[in-house]
Amino acid sequence: MHLLEVENLTKRFGGLTAVNNVNFHVDEGEIVGLIGPNGAGKTTLFHLVTGFIKPDSGTIKFKGDDITGLEPHKIVNKGLARTFQVVRPFRHLPTIANVLVALQSPRGNKKIEWLKTPERKAMEMLEDVGLSEMMLEPAENLSHGDLKRLEIARALATEPELLLLDEPFGGLSPIETEYLTKSIERMHLDGHTIVIVEHKLHALMKLARRVIALHFGEKIAEGTPQEISKNKKVIEVYMGKAM
Amino acid sequence: MVTTYLRRIYTSFATNIIDVPPRLLALLCFLLLLFFPITGPNQLLLFVLIYANLVAIFASSWDLLVGRVGQMSLGHALFFGIGAYATALLYKFYKLPLWVTIPSAIFIGVLVAVLVGFPCLRVRGPYLALISMAFPLILISVIFYFREWTGGENGIADLPRFFPTEFFTERGLSLVEAIYVQQVAEYYLTLVLLLVSAIVLYKVANSKTGIVFVSILDDELASKACGINTTKQKLLAFAISACFASLAGAVYAHILTAVGPGGTLTMTISFLPVIMTIFGGIGTIYGPIAATFIIQILDLYILKVPVNVPMEWHPLIFILIIVVFVIKWPRGIARFVVEDVLKELSKEREIEERGKRIWKKYKKKKQETTESSPEG
Repeated sequence: MHLLEVENLTKRFGGLTAVNNVNFHVDEGEIVGLIGPNGAGKTTLFHLVTGFIKPDSGTIKFKGDDITGLEPHKIVNKGLARTFQVVRPFRHLPTIANVLVALQSPRGNKKIEWLKTPERKAMEMLEDVGLSEMMLEPAENLSHGDLKRLEIARALATEPELLLLDEPFGGLSPIETEYLTKSIERMHLDGHTIVIVEHKLHALMKLARRVIALHFGEKIAEGTPQEISKNKKVIEVYMGKAM
Repeated sequence: MVTTYLRRIYTSFATNIIDVPPRLLALLCFLLLLFFPITGPNQLLLFVLIYANLVAIFASSWDLLVGRVGQMSLGHALFFGIGAYATALLYKFYKLPLWVTIPSAIFIGVLVAVLVGFPCLRVRGPYLALISMAFPLILISVIFYFREWTGGENGIADLPRFFPTEFFTERGLSLVEAIYVQQVAEYYLTLVLLLVSAIVLYKVANSKTGIVFVSILDDELASKACGINTTKQKLLAFAISACFASLAGAVYAHILTAVGPGGTLTMTISFLPVIMTIFGGIGTIYGPIAATFIIQILDLYILKVPVNVPMEWHPLIFILIIVVFVIKWPRGIARFVVEDVLKELSKEREIEERGKRIWKKYKKKKQETTESSPEG
């Protein structure tokens, strides 16, 4: 049984087919990359899987359960968390309270270790992503890189089995990218299964064991990073056709 | 010069009595209100303050819903009216005592909030404001339709008082004295109710549930992505808010001993908490309470006693105040006092304390090194 199984997923916006008959699966303990040029339907696919958009047809199975068309918060409480492409912090709240919100969800609350207060756990989560110094700072004072990390800490607070990262490296400096790559590797070692959508192929190729390429809502290739980087179709999509 | 003087007073107070500046200020204001009736019989001001106590409960309940959860409701008079009408109708038809009708009125208010909340909270922003605005107007029509039960525009009169006049006249007070004592008793009752509801609302707003509420205000989608059932949380906020609004309405009915649609369900009442909250500072909970007292007392001493502006003009003047405030001081008067003035004042103290702490640490370290050095 796969951890996540997507079958024949289709979503149309008017005349535009954003996601067309996509099939893929994610096994436990994997890091899967999802690549594709702008408008390929990567983010739409994420929205579909996490319940923010309802699909026109197709099924999504998580741990064998059908989660197609469920409310987003129910999916999160099943153990499938996500981050957003554009950071969405709770700007009025201090950094630590941003994580506390996720710890107030049914799943997050249940998974707090015995004899540990939510505040203590939130502090540890922030330490893990290196934000413990900004703990009491309002989230609106954080830099973009910090907000990206906060977003990940918030998603991790619900103790997901599968974590979907939507462009985690977007707008980060090379040093920040390296730092984040390391912490994603650490998360992987901690036993989280991760799916990453990314434009920056360089960073992604280092992390992912398996890469899925999308173009105009269709899956065009799947394989190891080496295979994908040599795949003719993918090169065509990214670089244009050879003369 | 004034600020340095204030700062000196404040630092001497704050370091010695209570650490949190808003709490000290709140305590002082509460003491002022507590000892106010001793100053002398002023029935007009006393009645205005009783009314202000209830409006303050009403306004701060609205502030929890709008300032903390971001659910723009412009029909909060619905709950005020339901509280008032429920207790009045229960008395009229079943002759139930006060301590039964008021809790049942609150219960009915919460029930209606849940029922109304289901359709209301599925829409967002301006649409919610429009939909919620309609509900009190619908209730007015319902009240006019069932005229023989609700009394239509005349309302229901002769409701029982909290402290009946006979109770005081039997104990040897003259009628005039009895009425005054009765009013003072009502004043203290509403003041205690205000204190209790303000503390409960403030605690809720600053609890972990309150954090979840603010997350919905900031970004509902992200809150959902954190696994929060936002519909449930919004409904909870709606119910808490309605609970205190209907409490205010029910008590108001028994203070006035009558209810009518004019004083409980009209647009003016719906906009009352909006005015108070924007004037006081949205999302602060204590802001609308402060604003209510300021506006009610100013209203009495500027618009009624010296010049007697007709009642219809008052909302217009309030709206003008709002316009000025939204443009000039959108953060409100309470936030200005608590966050800007007091923080500025307490900065000096903070630096002083930090210095003391560092000095202590340094001393300790020095002691340790001098103790350990002979051995090593």
